[in-house]
Amino acid sequence: MSAVEERSWTGRLRRRAVAALPPEKLLPDKQPSYVASWIYVFGVLSLSALIVIIASGTILALKGPTWWHFTGVGHFFNSIHLWSVELFFFVMVIHLWGKYWMAAWRGGRARVWITGAVTFLVAIPCALTGYVSQQNFDAQWISTQAKDAMNAAGIGAFFNLLNFGQMYSWHVLLLPAAVVGIVIAHILLVRKHGVVPPFVLQDKAAGTPQPAPPPAEPAATAADGERSL
Amino acid sequence: MAAVFNLNHHASYVHWHFFQMSVSNVIVIVLMLIVFAVAILAPFPKGGSA
Repeated sequence: MSAVEERSWTGRLRRRAVAALPPEKLLPDKQPSYVASWIYVFGVLSLSALIVIIASGTILALKGPTWWHFTGVGHFFNSIHLWSVELFFFVMVIHLWGKYWMAAWRGGRARVWITGAVTFLVAIPCALTGYVSQQNFDAQWISTQAKDAMNAAGIGAFFNLLNFGQMYSWHVLLLPAAVVGIVIAHILLVRKHGVVPPFVLQDKAAGTPQPAPPPAEPAATAADGERSL
Repeated sequence: MAAVFNLNHHASYVHWHFFQMSVSNVIVIVLMLIVFAVAILAPFPKGGSA
């Protein structure tokens, strides 16, 4: 390694990034066998819904409110945007329940859990500002009600729900950027630490005595250890 | 454009002591609980073993 490479911040950053996330960890082609359960599917379902939200929201932003209110294709993309958000929260809550009950913060995964929880919290105002960005009477009604809620909560000085420009900026730029940024961090942390193992495997690794499996159950083989994606 | 359901009436609510929630929200939460249970109990397709 040359002295320049040693000193440069890009070289140092690259070495740290590769050490934390070597390519085979960043883009794995195998996962542990315990991942073969439907409950592990809800993380990637949330991610898929988020991609549809961003794509449909980008089209809505490009075309504008007249298009989404008064054309057939505009109605279609408006509905795609709404229902992908509904689906996003539906599957994200199931992902959250699953990870809560398997205590997914175990094994040094606290930051994985925290970034997931913060994504959920940031996604809520991201969705709610969408209701006041519709540019219709529904949005006007919701914004006047929400203004009172903000004032009652003591944070009305920071958010003006009646200011469409401010709410639209929160909805299409600031909050989505936060959600996407935290989701990227969440996924990189999952790649770094791996998917949390079931309690029984962690206890086995720690040497805790386990109850004997029922005799009918076939013993796990080495080949069961990993599954190709 | 017409809605699939007739929305031209007040929302229906479930009200039981301190608990109050719209029927649509109750339906979504019950659906989430069902999907959660199915996700844990349903067998995952085999195949692709290393």
